Amino acid sequence: MQITKLSQMFDILATRPKKRLIAAWAVDPHTILATHSAAEMGIIEAILVGDEGLIKKTCQEHHLDCSKLRIIHNPNDLSAAAQAVKMINDGEGDFLMKGLLSTDRYMRAILNKESGLMNGGILTHITVAEPLNYHKLLIFGDVAIIPLPDLNQKIAITNNLIKTAHFLGIDNPKVGLLAASEQTLPKIPSCAEAAIIAKMAQRGQIKGGIVEGPLGMDLIIDKDSAIIKGMNSVVCGDADCILFPNIEAGNTFYKTLVKLLKSELGAIVMGAKVPCVLTSRGDSELSKLYSIALAAMMA
Amino acid sequence: MIDKLVQIAEKAKSLGRKTRIAVAAAEDTNTLGAISRAIKEGFIQAILIGNQAKIMALLLQTDIAPEAYEIIDIPDEAAAAKEAVRMVRSGEADVLMKGLVGTDKFLKAVLDKEKGLLPPKAVMSYTCALELPKHHKLLFISDTAVLTNPDLDQKIAMINYSVAMARRFGITKPKVALITATEKISSALPVTLEYALLCKMAERGQIKNCEIDGPLDIFLACDPNSLEIKGVQSSLNGDADILIFPNLESANSFYKGLMLFGGGELAGLICGTTKPVVVMSRSESENSKYYCLALACVMVEDK
Repeated sequence: MQITKLSQMFDILATRPKKRLIAAWAVDPHTILATHSAAEMGIIEAILVGDEGLIKKTCQEHHLDCSKLRIIHNPNDLSAAAQAVKMINDGEGDFLMKGLLSTDRYMRAILNKESGLMNGGILTHITVAEPLNYHKLLIFGDVAIIPLPDLNQKIAITNNLIKTAHFLGIDNPKVGLLAASEQTLPKIPSCAEAAIIAKMAQRGQIKGGIVEGPLGMDLIIDKDSAIIKGMNSVVCGDADCILFPNIEAGNTFYKTLVKLLKSELGAIVMGAKVPCVLTSRGDSELSKLYSIALAAMMA
Repeated sequence: MIDKLVQIAEKAKSLGRKTRIAVAAAEDTNTLGAISRAIKEGFIQAILIGNQAKIMALLLQTDIAPEAYEIIDIPDEAAAAKEAVRMVRSGEADVLMKGLVGTDKFLKAVLDKEKGLLPPKAVMSYTCALELPKHHKLLFISDTAVLTNPDLDQKIAMINYSVAMARRFGITKPKVALITATEKISSALPVTLEYALLCKMAERGQIKNCEIDGPLDIFLACDPNSLEIKGVQSSLNGDADILIFPNLESANSFYKGLMLFGGGELAGLICGTTKPVVVMSRSESENSKYYCLALACVMVEDK
């Protein structure tokens, strides 16, 4: 089934065996509330690694039922992160979530060569948004991890966009490669690399989606602009996925969707052995739930 | 449509004009052989510049009376090249041809910024049309002689020149194959990245009048069966008209191998100059030299 609304993930997860979320240093209200809600909805099983006293206190303050959560006591943040990662590696959980830990410490635990979750992949951040005035979901990246992806990193992000679409039931997603212009201007790296990636897809070196670029944002999301400019790619005006050439472009798009257009979204980190949730404290309650659900869909 | 080299000469004859050829240091039998054949066929007029005594002696060996030629006595080869270039530049001749002058001295005169034949910032390149006994049509290839390691802009110029030549032969939308060892795009083979760019530039209308695909190897460019066997999709359908090579070594080896082992013949031309420039290697066959001359006549802009 193709998902066109993020809330449909909840319905699908309700019909599947519950995936086990392991939250690293989950002692803050944000993490506890989000995981508690997800567990209460019955879409996941929540395992919180952190200081048991702190977790229970927070639950009491927010009138939450602790019995919905499995708590693994660990009084130290770094050691809790390491333990959460180890539990994933030992098969005791299906995906990871960040708690009150700083992002760099969380990422370091994932990236640790001996004990981490890497398997030769490239870590990329993938967002799935539900823009109010677009006719479908938009999957895009990287807005948070790779500042200026090189060609290989862009290929990895493109593959992850397509993979995410597949998990959401979008069989042959249309991927727009964003650049300042649809012209192939060799001196502008975003244009040049988009052309290269599009050609690679044409040659079957990137599979599972229809990839077109370079394209300006207008051509990616607006059919009328494409008609005016004489672009007849099926991707134009009907993109499922957008590859951003750099973090500034991606991050600005993300924040514009959230803050100006009040869109909801879910986001995960891909490229490790399991999906990793990396919510920001600024995210809405619903977006945190969507992020957990998205990771569970892909775990 | 021209698909045999002999048709180039027929086309040159059909133009109904005598193209004026200025030959720099016309002091070798190779050059004069091709020139006298073209005069006999009636499509050129020759201005022979060089050591008059030597030229006269050589002309006695041809079966055309020396009176049929205009001869200008300039014994120094560099000076002869300069005078030939001057005549073409001033419109006293239509085509420049190299005789027994060193290629470096000849090109120095062509490339001279004030008095030469290359417009500012223009790329000089070499395209030739190759006829092969076992192939159903001509193949235009570049660059076999001038650019050693063309960059992206130079490759675009090579494509444009080859397309212009193919169109002059009646191929309205020539199929351009960008040749390397594989059809896959990989940063390990940087030319494949350039090729991907060029394809997209053509798709976006930034390179006109042609269909481009690449990277492709020779099999995938020129043999539909290979496409089928390998399961590769190509907009050229294995029927390329133009082959663009990544560098001089590959293009040069490709054509020389085919000339030597495959019975190929060719007609080639320097491109990018304001008027056609014929530079022939002494090792080329009599026929190829004649075709080069005919090609230059065909490529002269209509007045």
